[in-house]
Amino acid sequence: MKSTLKFVLDFKIIEIDFSKQKELKTTTTVLNYLRSFPHHKGVKEGCAEGDCGACTVVIAEVNDENKLVYKAVDSCLVFLPMIHGKQLITIENLAVIENKQTKLHPVQQAMLETNGSQCGYCTPGIVMSLFGLYKNHNNPSREAVEEALTGNLCRCTGYQPIIEAAQKACIHNGNDHFSERENEVISLLKRINENEETLILKSKKQKYFKPFTLAEALKIREENPEAIIINGSTDIALRQTKKNEILYEIIDLSGIDELKKVSEDDNNYCFGSGLTLEQLRQYSNDKLPALFKILNVFGSLQIRNIATIGGNVGSASPIGDTLPVLFAHNAMIKVMSQLSERTMSIDDFIKGYRQTDIRNNELITGIIVPKNNNSYLIESYKVSKRKHLDISTVIGAFKLHLNNETVSEIVIAYGGMAATTKRAVKTENFLTAKKWSRENVEQAMDILSGEFTPLSDARSEAEFRTAAARNILLKFYLDTVQKS
Amino acid sequence: MKMSEKTYHESAIKHITGESVYIDDMPVNDQLLLGKVFFSRYAHAKIKKLNIKKALKVKGVHAILTANDIPGENQMGPIVHDEKCLAEKEVTFIGQAIALIAAENADALIEAEKLITIEYEVLEAVLDIETAIERNDLLAPPRKIERGNPDEALLTSPHVITGELKTGGQEHWYLETQTALAIPGEGKEMMIHASSQNPSETQSIVAEVLGLKNHDVEVEVKRMGGGFGGKETQGNHVAAWAALLANATRRPVKIHLFRDDDQIMTGKRHRYLSKYEIGFNEQGKILAYKVEFNADGGSSTDLSMSILERAMLHADNAYSLPNVQIIGKAWKTNLPSNTAFRGFGGPQGMAVIENAIDKIARFLKKDPAEIRHLNFYDQEPDVFTPYGQRIENNHLFKMYDKLLVSSEYFKRKEEIIIFNKANEFVKRGIALTPVKFGISFTNSFLNQAGALVNIYTDGTVLVNHGGTEMGQGLHTKMLQIASSELGITPDRVKVNATNTSKVPNTSPTAASSGSDINGMAVKNAIDIIKSRLMDVVIPELEKLNNGKTTIKENVVFENNFIYDKENSDNKISFDDIIKFAHFKQVSLSSTGFYRTPDIYFDRQTGQGKPFYYFSYGMSVSEVEIDTLTGQHKLLRTDIIQDVGDSINEGIDRGQIEGGFVQGLGWVTTEELKWDKKGNLLTHSPDTYKIPTVNDIPKIFNVELLKDVPNPGTIRRSKAVGEPPLMLALSVWLAIKDAISAVADHCLEPEFSLPATYELILLSSAKLKEGMKKIACADDLEKA
Repeated sequence: MKSTLKFVLDFKIIEIDFSKQKELKTTTTVLNYLRSFPHHKGVKEGCAEGDCGACTVVIAEVNDENKLVYKAVDSCLVFLPMIHGKQLITIENLAVIENKQTKLHPVQQAMLETNGSQCGYCTPGIVMSLFGLYKNHNNPSREAVEEALTGNLCRCTGYQPIIEAAQKACIHNGNDHFSERENEVISLLKRINENEETLILKSKKQKYFKPFTLAEALKIREENPEAIIINGSTDIALRQTKKNEILYEIIDLSGIDELKKVSEDDNNYCFGSGLTLEQLRQYSNDKLPALFKILNVFGSLQIRNIATIGGNVGSASPIGDTLPVLFAHNAMIKVMSQLSERTMSIDDFIKGYRQTDIRNNELITGIIVPKNNNSYLIESYKVSKRKHLDISTVIGAFKLHLNNETVSEIVIAYGGMAATTKRAVKTENFLTAKKWSRENVEQAMDILSGEFTPLSDARSEAEFRTAAARNILLKFYLDTVQKS
Repeated sequence: MKMSEKTYHESAIKHITGESVYIDDMPVNDQLLLGKVFFSRYAHAKIKKLNIKKALKVKGVHAILTANDIPGENQMGPIVHDEKCLAEKEVTFIGQAIALIAAENADALIEAEKLITIEYEVLEAVLDIETAIERNDLLAPPRKIERGNPDEALLTSPHVITGELKTGGQEHWYLETQTALAIPGEGKEMMIHASSQNPSETQSIVAEVLGLKNHDVEVEVKRMGGGFGGKETQGNHVAAWAALLANATRRPVKIHLFRDDDQIMTGKRHRYLSKYEIGFNEQGKILAYKVEFNADGGSSTDLSMSILERAMLHADNAYSLPNVQIIGKAWKTNLPSNTAFRGFGGPQGMAVIENAIDKIARFLKKDPAEIRHLNFYDQEPDVFTPYGQRIENNHLFKMYDKLLVSSEYFKRKEEIIIFNKANEFVKRGIALTPVKFGISFTNSFLNQAGALVNIYTDGTVLVNHGGTEMGQGLHTKMLQIASSELGITPDRVKVNATNTSKVPNTSPTAASSGSDINGMAVKNAIDIIKSRLMDVVIPELEKLNNGKTTIKENVVFENNFIYDKENSDNKISFDDIIKFAHFKQVSLSSTGFYRTPDIYFDRQTGQGKPFYYFSYGMSVSEVEIDTLTGQHKLLRTDIIQDVGDSINEGIDRGQIEGGFVQGLGWVTTEELKWDKKGNLLTHSPDTYKIPTVNDIPKIFNVELLKDVPNPGTIRRSKAVGEPPLMLALSVWLAIKDAISAVADHCLEPEFSLPATYELILLSSAKLKEGMKKIACADDLEKA
């Protein structure tokens, strides 16, 4: 057990002891921590909810191949203990002084040359996203550039010069002063990460557990049944940053490598609950296209870099983007306690509005997705006010098995239409054993309208939700016809 | 000296290294307190009891102030004094400030806020324009502009279309929320670091609430993290609140609004409900136009009447209207007072006529671009706007011809027809729209600017001027102007933070006028210094040229040297001249001043010459919509913009692209929604959606119109801040064109602004229904 946390900042190991540093809480965000220093005020708060990217920093960690991997994250959502054992890179670290001259990083130089900044407030965040892009891509496509920048709002430039800067800077051999100092950083991080022991951090009224093994995590869970479980904390953090709640007890699973594994057998993919949505997105690319499609428009890269599949399932939000797709795939959820293990279908796991079947001594450990083997058509459609960086207004996922143009099995699952992700059972029943025709689908759309009474809210009126839900069923039909 | 060709934003390196200092980043001593605003949760209510006693006991809290604690006048309305600084007995919108808290840390602020108790008696609230009209709650008497005989012309027009258009509001979403730092000095002095487009007004309002004189208050603006009009008057509020707390505690106090609070508390672009009648002939020539603009002013006047005036002055956009009546009314509602936003009424005014012309085209089954072209202001000498201003230097036809070619408008139009025939649910649309935007404050006296230029003995120059930097590159242009006027390299010039003690009584940095008026004032200051320097320069040059006489017209300042153009080999360095001048007791500092000549506007008659000149632009946009989901893609936009002789092409392009994309947000995804009690539902970026990098046109061509020097302005340039925003109307009408394709352009789609996914889906669905019911030809007969 350790009661202090350590990370690398400005190429030095920083140790935080909450019993001594009274101005800090265990849930102080990396943003607020950095801004407490006069020389780290480049990072900005734009929204405190991960929707603008002004607070973007880059986190580097050592991977299995003993290399550093760099990820842009929204520092407003990251609690300090989450960066334990990692390198925190800020805007102030990018340029270096050589012979008394400031030498800009290539991404900064490109931003200068394309007039990429106007008011400058979003700029440090944008530069950090570009830095993340620089470290992960060579000669990125426009798509890759947009992906890297989706999470950064700019109200001045119209983005065009920033896209140009990205394309200009990221044609390179990958070298910069970070690659020159990579070994130095790796050895610092290794020094922190040897003898990993659970961190038990305490400040004022708060207790924060950061275990590094699943066994430890389950033990802590058993002993602290009221504790909030986080991994990326992209949802939970808002309770603090937006609602000023005090999060008394937290169990942070982000340090457990066992939960980040992906395995595959003849019948199933098994995703560890701690797999980030970005890792899952990359993995699902050619394997699970309906999931890939949804993950491409899930939040932003900064969010996907820390948010996990276990978190999206566990928070059981009616507008959780992956849930309808997992319904369509008949996914199974695996949960464990110290003494037992259960696996259940996702339909059974989701119980109500933000309610699941999990017991207070259990953790979600895996999501099992049966392989399709091309016998089914599975598709997903997300409807949101803005195509990117938006929560879905309506999301629909469909699974279809046809036997000579007759529906032998169909799953229709919607998010945004009820208090939970919900299957349109009547519509499914109506379509089963019928001919997969436009006429029948149009009739099914009317049944569908009767199955849901969605809400009107900030995102849309109920009338729109119903219309969109109907229409994406039709879209699914049209797509299946087009494909065959 | 010629303008330096490529100058980056003067703060660019600071921006990209994170060094640029915004108010929230400023180092302040350990006495600093944080301030927070306790605000109303009801749209309209009486305050029956307000209790702050418990809250005052929270550890770390230093002051809680209510209306009774204001030493000066409880008001912060910029023109009309109808806006309380802190609510007294009544609240008139959700987000209205009631009490102010100062504490040592954020936790104490939050705890104290929770402990303030308040009892309300809830009153009926007016939350939309329609209700305000029913109740006849006008903010001020209606305004009117009239020309020709519109009523008679409508009667004799072969065709008349009547309609109503709703245009939505818009949240500024500057990245830096409203922020101010107030630092008390000795006696009653107060220093304010403000994020304000109008430091002189901030100074006056702070003085007023504190019961001080203007000379007791100093306001400084280093830079803003975006303004867009949102900090033209409403930056004053947070400054006044911080000043009250600093005055009460005699400690520095900083207020940096939380994003959601900023969105809830501050005003936005005015939503409008506009009604119109338009008469036209078979060719589509407009014969008469009557329009009534109804603005949602919010709970107090703020700038609503000036904004309404600009909407009225842009009702014509680029079109000749021989018979026209324009009525403007601003209505009072129980919402935050709506305020300036880039375009300042112009977008609302133009949207109506652009939509009306679109309807004419559909009615006549003609191409809307051709109808626009037909109605453009003529290039003949005696062409007048509805308010009697002569149209001069009209570039509309030149731009139209260029843009049709560069955008391949007609070819793409054909391709779109084929595409739409082949696709049942996905439709494409295209539109061309022009912009003619009047440059000058319509409140003529505001068209003045001041500067203070200091040359130091080491040959470096510090430029002060009345304009503020919010990212638009104003300081960069001032730096370029100063360096070229003085013939020195840009590295020797620095532009100072805007400060009311350096340049007093300034106008807001608004109306796109920043570079025009401040540039002239800077030039004026430099001209004065240069003429003083002649006393030193001429004898020195004559000495150098062996006694040959130098006349001042021949003296050239260039590349850090000064020489006589008759003897260009013999040069004296700028540094030497400055040193000599100092020894010869010549003043190296001067103020400068400028007022825009020959402009006036009579509000009673609605006639005059309110604008020094017009700025022109034109754009073509093509979109693709999915009628099943309502989602759209912006495939391509082509823009031509007239900026005169550009002072800085990089910066001007940035204004054009950035303005366009901001307009794009206004016409598509940016939607303000309130609940039935007047709570803003879209109070954070979670639900309020400004464009992301993915939303800009996939093909985005921006061209500056060449060889169009603007007579009578600094370096023959033109203003560029606001006009490009309205180019986004082409996206809006391209979406309408795509929806219209659902009914083969035979039916008029239901349409308003913004064209959200909801509007696109539902409007398309109604057209499908409409097509089922009636045959196309029949419908046109009826229309």
